[in-house]
Amino acid sequence: MTISAERPIEVVTPSATPPAYGRSWTQRPGWMSQHLGTAIVAAILGYAIGHWFGNYLASGYSFVANSGQNSIADALALTFGVVGWLLGIGALNYPLAKLIGRDGAKEETVDNWTKYFRYSLDHKVVGLQYVVGVLLFMFTGGLLAMAIRTELLNPTTHVFSADTYIKIVSEHGTVMMMMATSIIVGPLGNYLVPLMIGARRMAFPRIEALSFWIFVAGYMVIFSALPYGGFPTGWTGYAPLQTQAGPGMISYLLGFAVIGIGMMAAGFNIAVSIINYRAPGMTWSRLPIFVWSILATAALLTLATPVLFAGGLFGVLDKTVQTAFYVTEHGGSSYLWQNLFWFFGHPEVYIMALPGFGIVGEILPVFTRKPLFAYKVAAAGMIGVALLSFFVWQHHLFQSGINPDMRPLFMLTTELISIPTGFIFLVGMGTLYKAKIRFEVPMLFAMALFFNFLIGGVTGVFLSDVPVNVTVHGGFFVLSHFHYTIMGGLLFAFMAGLYYWLPKMTGRMMNSRIGKWHFWTMFIFFNLTFFPMFIIGLLGQPRRVYTYAPRLQGLNDFSSISAFLLGVSFLIFFANLMWSMWISPVKAPANPWDSLGLEWQTANPVPSYNFERIPVIMTDPYRYSEADAPAFADMGDGAGRSSSTTAGSSQA
Amino acid sequence: MTDMIEKGKGPTSTPEEREFELRAQIGSIWSGGRLFIGMYTFLLASEVFSYFYLRSSNNGMLWRLPHQHAPIAYGWAVFIAMSLTALLAMYGQRQLKKGSVVDFQVAGWTGVTTGLIALIVQIWQLTKLSFFPGSSGYASTYMGFVVMNIASIVIGTYWLETTLARSLRLRKELGGENPELSMDPMAQLFRANVASMAYFWGFLAIGGVLFTAMFYVM
Amino acid sequence: MATENAQNEPNHLRRMTTAWVIISVIADVLFWVFVGPHVPPGHMTETAINNQRTFNVLLVIALPVLIGVWIYLGYAIVVWGSKRNSVDSIGGESARTNRKAQTSWIVVTSVVVLILAGYGSYAVIAEHGSGGGEGPNPVWTPSGAAQAQTAALAGTQNWSPGSKNVLPVQVIGQQWKFTYRYPTFGGFETTQLILPVNTEIAFNVTSLDVIHSFWAYQLSVKADANPQVNDVAYTETKQMGNFVVRCSELCGIWHGSMYNYGKVVSQSDFMNWATTTEAANAANTKLLPPFAWTYVPDANGASGGYYPDGKQTPYSTVELYGSKTPAS
Repeated sequence: MTISAERPIEVVTPSATPPAYGRSWTQRPGWMSQHLGTAIVAAILGYAIGHWFGNYLASGYSFVANSGQNSIADALALTFGVVGWLLGIGALNYPLAKLIGRDGAKEETVDNWTKYFRYSLDHKVVGLQYVVGVLLFMFTGGLLAMAIRTELLNPTTHVFSADTYIKIVSEHGTVMMMMATSIIVGPLGNYLVPLMIGARRMAFPRIEALSFWIFVAGYMVIFSALPYGGFPTGWTGYAPLQTQAGPGMISYLLGFAVIGIGMMAAGFNIAVSIINYRAPGMTWSRLPIFVWSILATAALLTLATPVLFAGGLFGVLDKTVQTAFYVTEHGGSSYLWQNLFWFFGHPEVYIMALPGFGIVGEILPVFTRKPLFAYKVAAAGMIGVALLSFFVWQHHLFQSGINPDMRPLFMLTTELISIPTGFIFLVGMGTLYKAKIRFEVPMLFAMALFFNFLIGGVTGVFLSDVPVNVTVHGGFFVLSHFHYTIMGGLLFAFMAGLYYWLPKMTGRMMNSRIGKWHFWTMFIFFNLTFFPMFIIGLLGQPRRVYTYAPRLQGLNDFSSISAFLLGVSFLIFFANLMWSMWISPVKAPANPWDSLGLEWQTANPVPSYNFERIPVIMTDPYRYSEADAPAFADMGDGAGRSSSTTAGSSQA
Repeated sequence: MTDMIEKGKGPTSTPEEREFELRAQIGSIWSGGRLFIGMYTFLLASEVFSYFYLRSSNNGMLWRLPHQHAPIAYGWAVFIAMSLTALLAMYGQRQLKKGSVVDFQVAGWTGVTTGLIALIVQIWQLTKLSFFPGSSGYASTYMGFVVMNIASIVIGTYWLETTLARSLRLRKELGGENPELSMDPMAQLFRANVASMAYFWGFLAIGGVLFTAMFYVM
Repeated sequence: MATENAQNEPNHLRRMTTAWVIISVIADVLFWVFVGPHVPPGHMTETAINNQRTFNVLLVIALPVLIGVWIYLGYAIVVWGSKRNSVDSIGGESARTNRKAQTSWIVVTSVVVLILAGYGSYAVIAEHGSGGGEGPNPVWTPSGAAQAQTAALAGTQNWSPGSKNVLPVQVIGQQWKFTYRYPTFGGFETTQLILPVNTEIAFNVTSLDVIHSFWAYQLSVKADANPQVNDVAYTETKQMGNFVVRCSELCGIWHGSMYNYGKVVSQSDFMNWATTTEAANAANTKLLPPFAWTYVPDANGASGGYYPDGKQTPYSTVELYGSKTPAS
């Protein structure tokens, strides 16, 4: 659909009426405006109505009366609560108005600080909303992690009961997994993709806003598990333990379904935007590598998440209308959940890895002043990972008794996926070759990703090997492995991205001195926390245990204390965020890192329409090493360019 | 498919830019419609997978109890109503392309009616079930299918209805004879939307054949 | 990587390669000699020995990879890092691609990966599933496995000291302990896992409630215990001694406490123990459901009855429910 820069645009003269921009049908008085407050009220109302309705429907059934637990009421209450939330925030205004043919309409736009608490159609507002949202997720999940490590300080003295401990572990895993699926696509993907592809908007801004608000709803649904008594299954939710568990399980299943809708919506909108809204001249081979990674991630989000959604739906049906999907004795199969869950679950792992690669690929050229090495290999690697990730799910089930004869096949596919994953190392190392490396904070985080992800990736090969898997499956080795990939990879990349792009997003620089403190404490204590866990796992400690062999106490304590210090590192980050954004903000230069990226060429702060003129892309990205390289994009009449101070020097 | 550029504050778009954005919007509807079908395929595929997984596992010899059938007449009624809606949606879109707006509207509203009939029968069927949802693997997957089918009908009929309502309002907003067929951006977007909708209904019809075969024939 | 060198520049790649080769060889040798023999799961069974060897082979391959990347990163930081963060907007080398570097990278990683997959597959097949659970119909079985399963169902004693037959043992996971049945010794059930040395064991792992995972750590056996599934895993004991059994699949509140200890004893000791326990438990064994691959509560779960996994439906749901919905 793009118009190439070379080809003249055929102009079809539109009719005399102006295009449908800005036709407003929602002229409402101020007291009717919708925001976070109305959403909360509507959610509470919806919850109450749903609960009443569930009791009305089902309290007569013997299985409800006998058990004293009305899962139908719980499920309906949460569902209606989410619907109420969406009604309250205004997400359903447009779909309902469409029923009477309203289109080309726009919701009221508010241009003050309250827009951050509203259903905003501006991708930059959604991006910033997401930043706060994922940080909220991350800190609550992190607190739960601190609780886990506190319990594991001593094998015999217990801080929590075994019951509470398992709930904490389950909640931690689920919350972190939900957070990690959106941590980069949500904030950075939504904010940056239109800026990077030279678009004035997203393809479906309402779906984008929906993805954020339903993400918040999912946060509340999953935390409703705690007042419901928690769930004991870990984030994997295996049946029959799932079937056996109490009402907290409903929160888990619905929480994943709700978050799943958000993931699908986010991926859908971003994928369509990247396909259709690339600026003229932005051919596939000129796409910034971050956009490639987000495209691959978006494809995974849209295609893998429906399977999780279906799995969650079946689980809810098992819990409410008493079907037997996962009840082996009644013609169902507990293996069915494992298959559905991991068919989603493995692509999800790459949903959590690919955006990190993209950020690193974007940051390395800037701080090495070199073109990205082997750009096409990097893009191909991401697509390859995305495709292959649909064919590896049974490596989570090597010891489960499912399809033993398929083991060599899944071992092969799993190990094959390390080839495209390895491309990112080729790209990184090639870019570093004979570079001029500047060790700014984003660069430090980006390089740490290579260190951490290497360990995570290599141990992944160990796990994929069936004979070794016999020892390490289900133990701390696995746990350490995926923390190395998700936390060591994704979270470090996210931090790199925040330090790198927050100046663009907020117009304020992050303090680099505190940033370096944050980096070094996080890097050191992350490794000190999780590296011992490989050994703990090899020495025979299973996951999710509240007690362990006394001989492992030394290593566990070492890991726990490092984990607390890692927590302190996050406090440093939080302090830096507060300090640099609110307490003592330093105005960011227009292009602080001297980047050639399109997102830095717009005016600062970015106007709601992003670009004064739709830019025309003239050349490849990343021409950092050429003194006489042409500008990446023709920005029309020069808006935005004029305000950038440093970019000119490298582009002139 | 709206734009967010605020009135008065936005940049003055050149005709080239307007054309470019219009093409991007039409392209988004096109690729969004396809991607949505891809997404929906994975959802339905989970149901199909569950069906055949439980069928081949036959745990506890309880894949299906002897003589266990979902109400067949209701099932066929839903299937026929859904197929009719799909045919009408696709026929209407074809007629619209040929230039007959009236055909599109008559076919469309008939399609909405058959869609609603399908929805009502599908829900009503649940009161006529001859088995307990947890009595077998078949019964369980059947419940899953019903929930998904209700979702399919609701989504499809909603989409069809919105295009029809849009067509009516376009007449009001644009005026003139058959504004749906004009080169106005709104009309172009409308036609792209109708095409994606018809495509989605075609997809639902194929899924309907598969599910009817699975649950009422096999 | 890009290999063009300016005249006065040192040959970076040669330097790195030299350091890499030396350090890798030293690390590999040190690991293989000093650490390798002590790597879990040890030497107690055939699968433990083999799985330890696989781990060591993987690590010997992995160490040079790790060291290579680390040396490269370290070298880049030291040699190409600018000391003062000076903003020099025009960088060095402009290599965007290098066909040789790319091709060799892809070829090398692919070859390594294929070798690993081939070696892993060989190990799984040659070692009868490497001690992992192979499901109800194992495809890679030691000789005599089928005969052992028949003997288990028939309840006939097929193993005696020196017989070299496969000994079937059933592991039953339940919240929150493992119990063990010895079908060829009258089907008695104990909480102690005692095994004879130098014997091929067929673990038949199942569960009564949720999914557990039978992990005999030193034996290098791990098989998920699924309700309604007989998950079979094989190993051959090689050394006498104690081992620990843990549950490695989250199974509820007391998952962390679900462990016990087992023992590998001499063949005659095992025979003594088995026959005496069989006799001592005879009265209790009679009360147990007959030996079966899986056990299930009956339809209502209330009467506490069990039935063997057989060829017919255990209860008639048509009879129970009729053709109508049950009253609810």
